[in-house]
Amino acid sequence: MIKLKIKLALFNLLSKLAFTALFLLVMSYIIERINLRQVDNNLIQKREKVLELIGNIGIEPFMTSDTTDAFGSYNILKEEFISLEKTDTTADLNFIEETSRIIEGDEIAYRVLNYSFMVDGQKYLLDIGNSLTSIMQEKKNTTRVILVFLVLIILITFLTDLQYNHYLLRPLDRITNKLKGISNPALFDKTPVRTNTSDFYSLDHALRELMDNINELFQKEKEITINISHELLTPVSVLRSKLENLLMKTDIEPEISEKIEESLKTLHRLQSLVNSLLLIARIESRQYLREETVDMNEIMREILNELSPVAEDKSVNLREDYIDNYQFKDANRSLIFSMLYNVVNNAVKFTNTGGEITAKSVLRHGRFVITISDTGKGMSPAQMNSLFSRFKSKIITDENSTGIGLAITKSIADFHNIEVSVVSEPAKGTTFSFFFPENS
Amino acid sequence: MNVLIVEDEKSLANEIAAFLKSENFLCDLAYTGVDASEKIAVNLYDFVLLDLGLPDSNGLDLINHARKAGSEASFIIITARGAVEDKVKGLNLGADDYLAKPFALVELLSRINAVARRKFKIISQDILLGDFIVQIQSRKLICRDAEVEVTKKEFDLLLYLVLNKNRVLTRQQLYEHIWGNILDDQYDSNFIDVHIKNLRKKLNAYAPTEWLETVRGVGYRVSADQ
Repeated sequence: MIKLKIKLALFNLLSKLAFTALFLLVMSYIIERINLRQVDNNLIQKREKVLELIGNIGIEPFMTSDTTDAFGSYNILKEEFISLEKTDTTADLNFIEETSRIIEGDEIAYRVLNYSFMVDGQKYLLDIGNSLTSIMQEKKNTTRVILVFLVLIILITFLTDLQYNHYLLRPLDRITNKLKGISNPALFDKTPVRTNTSDFYSLDHALRELMDNINELFQKEKEITINISHELLTPVSVLRSKLENLLMKTDIEPEISEKIEESLKTLHRLQSLVNSLLLIARIESRQYLREETVDMNEIMREILNELSPVAEDKSVNLREDYIDNYQFKDANRSLIFSMLYNVVNNAVKFTNTGGEITAKSVLRHGRFVITISDTGKGMSPAQMNSLFSRFKSKIITDENSTGIGLAITKSIADFHNIEVSVVSEPAKGTTFSFFFPENS
Repeated sequence: MNVLIVEDEKSLANEIAAFLKSENFLCDLAYTGVDASEKIAVNLYDFVLLDLGLPDSNGLDLINHARKAGSEASFIIITARGAVEDKVKGLNLGADDYLAKPFALVELLSRINAVARRKFKIISQDILLGDFIVQIQSRKLICRDAEVEVTKKEFDLLLYLVLNKNRVLTRQQLYEHIWGNILDDQYDSNFIDVHIKNLRKKLNAYAPTEWLETVRGVGYRVSADQ
């Protein structure tokens, strides 16, 4: 994925490059045309001069050579030449062409003016040539200077574009940052983004309104959950008291006692379920206070100590490896306890006899991390996907659990801005990592 | 002791009353806030079990009024709301304890007894179980002059069974008493079994524990004569 400001700057760069290429092509053509025109004018001037000279002194001084009835002359650098010879053609010639001539073994490109004229009944052909080498050189040089200049300009404008785009798109950056990593619309930063770009303003405005609406709906949903939970707990309460009173009667058969206890167990599942939903709804609607400072290693020791009798009974080894410690400020101790307890308790449940559970706390890149790894049965990717969803985690199969424990863990983590990650491999084990926010 | 049960759910109020009567309490019932106010003003109660979710009044106001009127009753709040603020408010207003619905009746009894012990400064008697003595005051378990080392949780478990002697307690009741309600979802009957197993192992090293019974399919019971 590429950032918008980079894309814009790249597009500008490419369009400038294309423009420059076109410009160079046209420029070099124009320069060539201008130069040729100049050369041609030059040649015509020279012709006039020669003709004037012939008019003054006659053709004879040019035709002194014994060997041929022709005259030829070129300067030392072969920049120019002139030749005059008798010709038999009857046609009148007057044109300029590009041709190469071999002079003293060097083949040189010339712009040549051909002109025929009559003197004393004899037709002569006058060739005046001007070398194109210098013109080519000139064209090359000019093109090079222009190219360097344009490349410089492109570079400078590319950098300024980047800067300006960055400045221009800063409100957009802010808006995306506000949206990034928000698990709950209640956490959305409602302060308006300062901008005088109307598009960003409307985007920000629309987003804030949307978030407000979602928030309101969420809040309503939570309220409904809380109200329903309360309504459900009352009948559960009545049933429980009735069953407990029944169980306390001394004259009932053992089988009936067992049936009553089974009913109580079932009722307890309902109670757990409702309480868990209530707990999550309360956490998500922020009804819990966060005003305690929690010593993380101490709470981990407490949890492992709590679970050690069960682990020992299963011959599961509990290892503790606390390298660094962390005082978690603005936390709710009971919630943090539940969050970690659920995970350790699951680890104990799903690790077989002889297995091992390791609790570790360490600072990683400045962030405090608690990892809980087990050598249990692990999870398949499909199980991992539904791990934190309510009621979906099928890894929890015992009848006393509602399968909502990890959903609670997740909502407590979100409430405290703690990141949770899970790595698991079937038959090898699972590792939960909790990344705590940096203390400000 | 006199108890007023303020609860708008009649069926629940009746069950609580039936249970407390069997424990030799004298019970009065009030289904509304108005009714409760009148009864508190007229009668002397040792305990008021108060549901906060009354249809006609806020239960918390009721405590306030009763206190101003000079009532010395101990209030135990019962609520399905269970919100932290309610708990704090209730305890600040002078409620003595707080129970979230649904609760175990034996838990209610244990809370009432705890408040009563504090209120009337009752010194708990040591309890004899076979060759063991449970010293409630000093939280010690003695067997033939030797102290038996048990963990805090194991002692709590034993004590709860002892205080409810001759009554079967379900694993859930035991779990809730010792671990509280916060980890509700994590209730695991295995927890109690493991702790009872460990407790038995420790006690059996000193003397037989036939008084600590497992009631098949139901729970555990401590049988004692006294």
